[in-house]
Amino acid sequence: MSRLDLDFDVKRDIHNSPIIREIDKSRQRELRRSLFVGVCLVAVVLFSAWQHFQLLRHGYEIDELEKQRTVELELNRQLRLEVETLRAPGRIERIATDVLNLTRPSGSDAQIIERVAPVPPPDRSVLAERETNVMGEHQP
Amino acid sequence: MATNSNAANRWRSTLRGRVMLAAGVLTLWGIAIEARLVNLQVARYDEFVERAERQQSRSIKTNPKRGEILDREGRVLAYSVEADTVVAFPTDVADPSETVRQLCEQLGCDSDQTALLQTRLGRDRQFAYVRRHVSVNVAKRVRDLDLKGIGLIKEDRRFYPNKELASHLIGYVGIDNQGLHGLESRYDEEMKGSPGRVQIQVDARGRTFSRVERPPTTGMSLGLTIDKYLQHIAERELRATVLEHKAAGGSVVVMDPHTGDILALANEPTFNPNAFSLWQSDVRRNRATQDVYEPGSTFKIVTASAALEEQVFRPDDVIDVSPGVIYFGGRPIRDIGSYGVLSFADVIVKSSNVGASKIGVELGAERLGRYVRRFGFGQAFARDFSGQSRGIVREVSGLTDSSLARMSMGYSISVTPLQMAVAMNAVANGGELMAPRLVAELRGEDNSSEIPQRVIRRAITRDTASTLTRIMEDVVSRGTARNARLAGYTVAGKTGTAEKIVNGRYSDTRHIASFVGFVPSTKPVLTILVVVDDVARFGGTVAAPAFKRIAEASLRHLAIPPTVDAPPPILVSPGFPEGPRVGPYSVAGLGSMPGPGVMPDLQGRSARIALAVATDLGLSSRLNGHGFVVAQTPQPGQAIARGQELTVWLERRGVADDASRLMP
Repeated sequence: MSRLDLDFDVKRDIHNSPIIREIDKSRQRELRRSLFVGVCLVAVVLFSAWQHFQLLRHGYEIDELEKQRTVELELNRQLRLEVETLRAPGRIERIATDVLNLTRPSGSDAQIIERVAPVPPPDRSVLAERETNVMGEHQP
Repeated sequence: MATNSNAANRWRSTLRGRVMLAAGVLTLWGIAIEARLVNLQVARYDEFVERAERQQSRSIKTNPKRGEILDREGRVLAYSVEADTVVAFPTDVADPSETVRQLCEQLGCDSDQTALLQTRLGRDRQFAYVRRHVSVNVAKRVRDLDLKGIGLIKEDRRFYPNKELASHLIGYVGIDNQGLHGLESRYDEEMKGSPGRVQIQVDARGRTFSRVERPPTTGMSLGLTIDKYLQHIAERELRATVLEHKAAGGSVVVMDPHTGDILALANEPTFNPNAFSLWQSDVRRNRATQDVYEPGSTFKIVTASAALEEQVFRPDDVIDVSPGVIYFGGRPIRDIGSYGVLSFADVIVKSSNVGASKIGVELGAERLGRYVRRFGFGQAFARDFSGQSRGIVREVSGLTDSSLARMSMGYSISVTPLQMAVAMNAVANGGELMAPRLVAELRGEDNSSEIPQRVIRRAITRDTASTLTRIMEDVVSRGTARNARLAGYTVAGKTGTAEKIVNGRYSDTRHIASFVGFVPSTKPVLTILVVVDDVARFGGTVAAPAFKRIAEASLRHLAIPPTVDAPPPILVSPGFPEGPRVGPYSVAGLGSMPGPGVMPDLQGRSARIALAVATDLGLSSRLNGHGFVVAQTPQPGQAIARGQELTVWLERRGVADDASRLMP
């Protein structure tokens, strides 16, 4: 039965303005606390997820750098080998004699002079020190 | 109203039935899922974990780096670097014939290699080698082919950057880096290291992630007593001598008489260890330690030592060696001519076989045999050589006068060149028999161990050694070894010419020529032995000139000042960096070094020395050009402060006086 079937309709205004809805502070506090705990929990979850993905990312980066390091080390070894090959005395002598037309020095071409480094004087005279000790021993 | 009520009830029951049906379906669906999960995660757990491991991760073995071989100054003699190896995964190769054809175009296969490759790729195998240790260019060409089932992997390959240099000492390794010869074989266990293991994981995106389970351990490096440049000098001069006299081969041993360190050991013919299989095994033999020869007159040093030590003869005692021939058991021992009466010393100086025989017989077998042992003959005490010979020394009890006489002049006994050099070392250092040392140090990543020098025994007294040295100085100054005389240095030595046995008889025309001596004789630095096999001439004309050239170049390299008419020494400031040990530049220039705070004169010095000086003075350096310093800023003598910049201009001069300056 709809309202159109009625002969009359009584309308009455209901005023609820005098009703005061009291703020429940404890519930609000509880709500805030729950909200805070929830945010914290979400933050922790997000942080741990971020950490996890960062860990993975850094793992890949470290792996990539390790590979680069290995490649660079190997390149270093290759270059060292090349340097040593270029320094081979046989090769250098061949270039010196065949390409640069240098000749081997004879005995008289080179003069070796002995180097003598002066002996540094002692900080204190050893003799004097000994004498002092001897005198010290004889002192009554 | 009743009709309405029935309809509502029907609707409710229909709804309930459908809900129940849906709930039942959902329950069954849940049970099915749960059952499947239990099946996957519990019942077949191990199987799937294993499959995931197989798909997502694999553990691979990482090869260890083989230790290096370095000379006494840390210069590389043997080194390992990675090389590409072409490999196949035959199960992935779709068309083996076509793959082999394309590969062989790049690799250059002969018919045998093509057939072998065809067989390898046709097999139902997971893995097969195609070609190991290919060059960078070949690797690139193979990579560009992009053939299915063909790949490249990295493997360590041994290189010997100095090629033939010290090849008999260093030896070589096989394709799997296993030591096969020389030090590579002798110290294989120490040098090869141990393999590591790496876990490689693949994520959902196909990215790889590796984790080292066990790092590979690098093998220990060998620090040798060899000097790379002395070795080069020895090999160069030996090769020249062998070519000049059309000899079959030869050996040179250079030692430090005081420590027993082998500074150089050369053999001819020689080989390149980078491609050792191209040479016959006979060429790869270390003649200096594996071959024995009758030393001839060089052995008279041992006879003379025994006679002097046992006081059977004194240097001035006279011995009648006329008429230049003596018979023992009907067999003649001859001199080149008749020397008449000689002093004991002159028997050695003139290398009289008759005189040496008489000395030997006078000594007796027991006493001579004792000194043969004292000098180390018949013993193998060089721990660094595998397969070394002990030589052939007969028991003294079985020696007849004839054998004794022949042994006194260096026949009826066989020694190795190294043994002869070690015996001469004992005279040079004042009587102590030093064990020859080739490996001075084993260097690991965390620990190193030095192999100490070892005195085997005292062979003779210092007085006897001194007397022998004077006699051998006379051998060089007025005896058979005048070709070994060296300007500015006193030399002591002894020649040897032993007849070769050809067809079971001693040949008059084919000899083993040798010279062994030490220099400077007054303060020995080097003991040098030269042995040349199968020549028509004598030790004094074949081996002594080679000794002279080796000694001359070696003394210059080591900057050993002359012992005769030496120029006055120069005073250098203490703690000044050492220059190169070669040539007069660095030595003479050091005398003009001013004190700290004053710029020294760097003209004529190499860039390396200029940099070393700048570093010591706290200056930053700027180098312009190549070669030797021709100009500098600040100028010599100017006051300098730490942090100031030193600029040097370098030029490569057209000098022809010292090729060795080009050496670092």
